[in-house]
Amino acid sequence: MLLKLAWRNIWRNKRHSAIVVGSVIVGVIAVILMDGLTSGMLYQMLFNQISSSVSHIQIHKKGFNDNKVVQSFMPDYYKAEDVVKENTSVQSYSKKVVSFGLLSSASSSSGVFINGINPSGEEKVTKIKNSIVEGSYLTGNKREIVIGKDLADKLNSKLGDKVVILTNTPDGTISSDVFRIVGTYETFSSAFDKAFIYIPLENAQQMLNIGDNIHELAIITKDYGQVDKVKEQIASQLSDEYEVLSYEDMLPMLLVQIDLYKQSMFITDVIIGLALIFGIINVMLMAVFERIQEFGVLMSIGMKNSKLFLMIIIEALIIGIIGTVVGIVIGIIIEIPLSYIGIDLSLFAESLKSFGSGAIIYPVIVPENLIGVLIIIPFISIVGAIYPAYKAIKLEPVSAIRYV
Amino acid sequence: MKMEILRTENLEKIYDDDGVPVHALRGINLTINRGEYLVIAGPSGSGKTTLLNLLGTLDKPTKGKIYFENKDITNKKKRELSDFRLHKFGFIFQAYNLIPVLTALENIEFTMMLLGIPEKERRRRAFNLMDELGIKELANKRPNDMSGGQQQRVAAVRAIINNPAVVLADEPTANLDSKTGDILLDMMKKMNKEKNITFIFSSHDKQVMDRAERLLILKDGLIEE
Repeated sequence: MLLKLAWRNIWRNKRHSAIVVGSVIVGVIAVILMDGLTSGMLYQMLFNQISSSVSHIQIHKKGFNDNKVVQSFMPDYYKAEDVVKENTSVQSYSKKVVSFGLLSSASSSSGVFINGINPSGEEKVTKIKNSIVEGSYLTGNKREIVIGKDLADKLNSKLGDKVVILTNTPDGTISSDVFRIVGTYETFSSAFDKAFIYIPLENAQQMLNIGDNIHELAIITKDYGQVDKVKEQIASQLSDEYEVLSYEDMLPMLLVQIDLYKQSMFITDVIIGLALIFGIINVMLMAVFERIQEFGVLMSIGMKNSKLFLMIIIEALIIGIIGTVVGIVIGIIIEIPLSYIGIDLSLFAESLKSFGSGAIIYPVIVPENLIGVLIIIPFISIVGAIYPAYKAIKLEPVSAIRYV
Repeated sequence: MKMEILRTENLEKIYDDDGVPVHALRGINLTINRGEYLVIAGPSGSGKTTLLNLLGTLDKPTKGKIYFENKDITNKKKRELSDFRLHKFGFIFQAYNLIPVLTALENIEFTMMLLGIPEKERRRRAFNLMDELGIKELANKRPNDMSGGQQQRVAAVRAIINNPAVVLADEPTANLDSKTGDILLDMMKKMNKEKNITFIFSSHDKQVMDRAERLLILKDGLIEE
């Protein structure tokens, strides 16, 4: 009956209740959209990194990740490749030669990160092929090169132009080769586009004079959630001469950044929560002051303070639950189409490009965030009702009955 | 044999009116027996409601003692008093004071709910008493849909549903016409006789005073019996 009474009390003053439920709904929608947008941005930052260069797992010669010198090629990549091939959780992999060098056009030059790839293998691991904006991806012909559009602009080069790569071989001598630009790509990050270049694997091996050796096996697993497990499986089958790293090992700064954003998201949620608390205190106080005489009667006929307190808390909890559920439903209805079409933040595109998330953010509905909202907002409603409920139980029955 | 249910000793109540002490009661010595039908009458400001509030433990005296069944209840704590009132007293207010969001039946059930009586039993008892007192047809009406007389009859049933020892009625007929007042007072008289519930009225309504088995006149905070 206390629940029934609380429920009916809420609808006694429909305008007050509508205002407070409405403010909870708006707050919940704001939290959901903020969380969705931020989560989407963070996921995009991470997945862009994974899909452009990092992949899920990389295998190198031990120490290569910290010191990418050309002579640190894998001791026996056939063995490592066999281990990868045999692992049923691996979806695809790509062999890579990785080195630094200088890319020069007729008018300019720029430091670059050379990626010698097998085009058919690489397209199953990274999305460079999908990022081509002009020309084509590597076709398999010798001395082709794909570079970022920003780099092409920087070098004043266009499709079909010749460029020269200058790099070091393991014995310290300078090596160079001429390539023809067959395609330019554009990714989420201008910094990436200016640095990463792609040439055929054999040309890279030849230019670096490393025989048929490679520096890296990049792996994509079938299940993103199984990366750590697969990493452990592969590592256990390889000797100490190899390092097997997951994207978490290779992107520590990004993960810290994501963590920081999650914290700032939490702070934003807290601020919205505080605003809600004050709204609820305000409305519940009004509701208490409107019913002082009634509380006097309830106390007179024997209602204990604890029950009176509980009744007011239940009222706030119901408001919180209704507002939260309706807010979540509306938030999801708004967010689902946005998660497909994305939110175009082109105005901030340049900063977002350097940020690594891309200009179009696709909000992500994170079930844990929804569960968090579903628990926290009703809890906030309870917190907001404590002071009004306290005021109510501090009333003296006789003066409350006389209150006009 | 008469059994004492309420007794006061030198009961005084002084209100503070912006620093000016106002003596509402100036030493009331009163004994009320079980089953009495007592009316406290007197002009406005004589202290009737104050005395009723003190007897009903809704307020604390400035001086003096109140005994219920020979036990001193003057200094009971607020928490104990709500439980005490729930079990021992029923209240009828001048302005009816039903809970507006509950139906008549639910208003009557409410005090039983506070006692932890199961819903089925509450409903049965409430219906029976409403039927007995001729207000069954009001069961599903909310206070706003009832006349003042109907509300006050529901309030009276609410007051006695838990079989209290004492019902305190503060000006119960003040907002009713004489015909409705008669119906209500007859109903309360019936409850007094059939259930041996002590009724204490505060009123200056002749209708109420005419039915009194004992009439106390309060004047300037003192009894003139």
